[in-house]
Amino acid sequence: MSSSGIRQVTQDRSLFVPAGLFLVLLLAVAFRGQGLFTNNGLAGAILVATPLILAALAITPIVMAGRGAVDLSVGPLMGFINVTLITWLVGNGITNPVAVIAWAVGLGAAFQFVQALVIIYVRVAPIIVTLSGFLVLSGVNLMVMSRPGGVAPDWMLSWGAGTSVFSPVLLLLVAAFAVWGVLRRTMFYRNLRMTGADERMAYTSGVPVDVVRIIAHVVGGAFAGLAALSYTALISSGDPTQGSTYTLQAVTALVLGGASLSGGRGGALGSTLGAINMFLISYLLSTFNFGTVSGFVTQMAFGLILVGSLLVNVFVTSRRAVA
Amino acid sequence: MVSTVMNTEVAMARSASPFRTHKSIAIGFALLACLLALGALLVPGFVSSQNARSILLLAAFLGLASVGQTLCALVGALDLSIPYIIGGANILLPSLMVAGLPAPVAMIVVLILGALVGAANGALSFRLQGQALIMSLGVGFAAVGAVQIYTSLGSQFGGTVFAPVPDWLRNLSAFNGKFFGLPFPPVIVIWAAVAIGLGWIMYNTWFGRSLYAVGGSRTAAARLGISEFRIWTVIHSASGAMSAITGMLLLGFSGGGFVGVGDPYLFTTVAAVVIGGTSLLGGAGGYGATVLGVLVLTVLTSLLVGLGLSFPAQQAVVGLLIVPMVAIYARSPHIRNQI
Amino acid sequence: MDSEITIRMVDVAKAFGETKALKKCDFEARAGEVHAIVGENGSGKSTMAKMMSGVLHPDTGKVSILGERVLSPIDAKRIGLTTIFQEVLVAEEASVFDNLYVGRDGVFKSQTTGGDRRAEADEILTRLVGKPVDLDEVVGSLPLSVKQWIVIARAILRRPRVLILDESSAALDLDSTIRLHSEIDRLRSEGATVLIVTHRIAELVRIADRATILRDGITVGTLEKHEITEENLLSMMTPADRRSGDVAEYASRAKSAAPAILTARNLAVHRTAGKFDFDLPKGSIVGVAGLDGQGQDAFVRALAGIVQPFGGDVQVRSADTDRMVSLRTLDDAANLGVSYVSGDRKREGIFPQQSIFENLAIGVYRKNLGALGVIRKATLKPMFKREVDRLRIKIGSPSNKITSLSGGNQQKVLIGRAFANDPQVIVLNDPARGVDLGTKRDLYRELRLFTDKGGSVVYLSSEIEEFIGFADRVDVFFGGTLFRSLEGNEIAEEPILASMFGKSKHASVEFDLERTA
Repeated sequence: MSSSGIRQVTQDRSLFVPAGLFLVLLLAVAFRGQGLFTNNGLAGAILVATPLILAALAITPIVMAGRGAVDLSVGPLMGFINVTLITWLVGNGITNPVAVIAWAVGLGAAFQFVQALVIIYVRVAPIIVTLSGFLVLSGVNLMVMSRPGGVAPDWMLSWGAGTSVFSPVLLLLVAAFAVWGVLRRTMFYRNLRMTGADERMAYTSGVPVDVVRIIAHVVGGAFAGLAALSYTALISSGDPTQGSTYTLQAVTALVLGGASLSGGRGGALGSTLGAINMFLISYLLSTFNFGTVSGFVTQMAFGLILVGSLLVNVFVTSRRAVA
Repeated sequence: MVSTVMNTEVAMARSASPFRTHKSIAIGFALLACLLALGALLVPGFVSSQNARSILLLAAFLGLASVGQTLCALVGALDLSIPYIIGGANILLPSLMVAGLPAPVAMIVVLILGALVGAANGALSFRLQGQALIMSLGVGFAAVGAVQIYTSLGSQFGGTVFAPVPDWLRNLSAFNGKFFGLPFPPVIVIWAAVAIGLGWIMYNTWFGRSLYAVGGSRTAAARLGISEFRIWTVIHSASGAMSAITGMLLLGFSGGGFVGVGDPYLFTTVAAVVIGGTSLLGGAGGYGATVLGVLVLTVLTSLLVGLGLSFPAQQAVVGLLIVPMVAIYARSPHIRNQI
Repeated sequence: MDSEITIRMVDVAKAFGETKALKKCDFEARAGEVHAIVGENGSGKSTMAKMMSGVLHPDTGKVSILGERVLSPIDAKRIGLTTIFQEVLVAEEASVFDNLYVGRDGVFKSQTTGGDRRAEADEILTRLVGKPVDLDEVVGSLPLSVKQWIVIARAILRRPRVLILDESSAALDLDSTIRLHSEIDRLRSEGATVLIVTHRIAELVRIADRATILRDGITVGTLEKHEITEENLLSMMTPADRRSGDVAEYASRAKSAAPAILTARNLAVHRTAGKFDFDLPKGSIVGVAGLDGQGQDAFVRALAGIVQPFGGDVQVRSADTDRMVSLRTLDDAANLGVSYVSGDRKREGIFPQQSIFENLAIGVYRKNLGALGVIRKATLKPMFKREVDRLRIKIGSPSNKITSLSGGNQQKVLIGRAFANDPQVIVLNDPARGVDLGTKRDLYRELRLFTDKGGSVVYLSSEIEEFIGFADRVDVFFGGTLFRSLEGNEIAEEPILASMFGKSKHASVEFDLERTA
């Protein structure tokens, strides 16, 4: 989030709400005086928040491509990469970092490639395709690994220690941003936005819309691979069900970040802000002691904040009235 | 969304003949028949009153939970608050009874609260349209959080509530429940009554026709003086009420309150709607289609169980079935034909 | 004129399911000419344009552009063919600049936001729109005419060797049309082929070098410049059997003396423009005309209670009490018997997934409600049959989808929906848009019968010819207010056109056109 990031915030009204919420939350966290702003606090925060940020990034290009393509499969996909990595790779003694990372990124990209092909050639609404992906992978994950278990490769165990800000997990995040930054500078990014904004216009103007959609999915899948790696580092093991919870969280982060689920509007910056805001909300709530009901208060407050910021979003970005 | 709406227009233009109009229904019936035949052939004891009863019982819960999802899909919305309201109702009812409310009163309170949460959901999400599903998620979180705070105050219940469930409620939805002496639980009859009543309402009342009108073309509906906001709020409210009812009936089934009881209904309600043939974009389909979708899903699950498949494997098979099912009757036209 | 052939279509046919859009199409265009493709609505013009653009592929026959086959818009882009489609295709959420340069580069080329592109875009948009447009503005917030210019500028910025304009001047006013024509001239002089697809004869007589006429999916001939006259074009466009006894002459009746069924006092339909009064005499047909965006659209919508006027009062004589009652909302309109028919069928008319019966009957459900909102369906079937017979709607089964009907028959269903309410007043907003001549004639006949029985009609049209021999009075809007009412023999092309430009009744607009062009 350099100066170009700041310029984006000032120019793009859809970023007003997430950026504002971010500042408010940051102030609130600082006011609560808890240890987020220490080395350990920040390191832990990065460790916990990274899977969500990456999951939100993973669905960003797919949502941007339009057709109401909310990718519901991202959570189970992270879970799938996690359990196969632990069971099939580590379970068979393959722990080489290059192989593991290649497996994660490649599997994510490959799965999304298949989903893109189904969306394009079978021509079924993307949300139905990804709903199907969600159900299939949720089931398969449990078939690969029936209960949480296994261990992450040795070299990954230190990732999850959360003792240093500059951990390999942060590196995953930086790598994802770097890839996105490069893509933003190519015509792909503009073509993606135009495809999402109005696919028929893009098609008739000579944009290869199918290629754009496939790339969007593959990039999203690769990000899901990175998300799965950071998630594996976080739990240091395999878990067939927890990954699935990232779907709703990621979609929520995206919307909190000001993206439109119908395409054309949104970006990595917004999604990242949305994900960080979600983390900050739970962090902030965890600093209060509600006794036995604290989990429930967190859930309710989280729901209310979601409702509130969506409503604010409506008032800030509503330009088009329904005639 | 505009372009997707146009997609369906073009798609519809092609499916003019009466057979094609009801293609999804015909396919649904064919599929159901195939599944039943397969079950009869492959699974011993598949054709038995026991199994029929258990299929219908599970279908009734899913069917009641899918009422709201169907109504929402008809105007292009998705209600993700359903599992949370089911879970909330499932623990709020026993906890109110423990607090001393007579069961019928407690049930009415829960029902009204469910309807109110739904109405709030509809009123708040109306302006959001495409993002409305996330609003429903937020409302669901808030509602279930609030209920659990209530159940935890002054007790140790939290998300699991134990309370004596009245026998009549137990009888309503327990596997061995009796309907006026007949050997099946009354919840099946309740579901059938809801399905028939809803089908009749959708075709014969101004509300039902307005609902289809709004889903088909909001501007054209507005020109006829139909208030989209009112429709939107009413169906979300109905969805909340039906979820509350499902949650309460599930209490009779399980005998104890558990907040997570609604979780499976998050996506299975969507799957039932989609497999039935109701378009998620609005305007086409109906509850009759969803009943078929619910039956296909439940019979399929029962068949897979009979074949010895584990729960995860069942889920995977159901997931794999969705795309081909939808591809048969709801493919979008190629972009070339949308210009 | 023996320059290079740029477009060649040989024996091309194309069908969509049962409908044969093109039956036999032979066509040639040369470099450095403006070639018009003319035909009635539904004659296959747009299909032809889409095939040249690579959007559609022919079932049989051959299409070659600059010696190559064009299989997709990407191919078209590569060889230098650009099409401006009938629909104004813009990305509402994106900036003007992005909309202008969409699809210009490959997928992974690094982005050019360079100053030269901006300067070029600035220059062309300023030239076309007549004033500078902010390139970073979000397109969704711009008026339709500017969006149309953006689409045209997008095409011109590509320096096309072949440019196809499919009814692209529809959203432009006359001033703008002249600017468009000078752009077309410029392209022609640079050796490009410009195809103009249109059903507006007046436009092409002025600008086309040659014209190819399509009738029912068949190319019936090509006219050279000196042969392009309205008579020649009309006789080739319309089959002989339909030409005779065209819209029969209908004596404009002076009915101003009849009592007003609907009045408007001090009405303001534009924030700043002047207020005006309006009277609709019972039993008359009042035409409403105006250039795009002059307030006539808001006016007819205000009459039907769809939009609230900025000021003033619309009143309708109540059939029950015989007193004038204010009309402010859609409910008022329904109670007072004012029905509205839109020409924008797709957006504000039909329910695409519903049956023909439902689409017609839904308008009267509210009048047939019993307890708890239950619809009494018994009376609806005879009503449906009556309207279908009356309007001569060609349907298979009433339970077929509305989209199985042609555009004209869909429009008839919507008019049936309006008639079914037994209204006192029918307000029609450009209902003949995109319907064939036969439907138009059925429509005129029914509206006349309706007025003979005491009904009253407000009829907005974007085509002047529609009023002639049909309307009793034509109210022309200009600058957001009622500019002039024309009656009797003033209802003719020239006075209406002159009034549309805010000029005196007898000024010749044609003269101005010649001078500026």
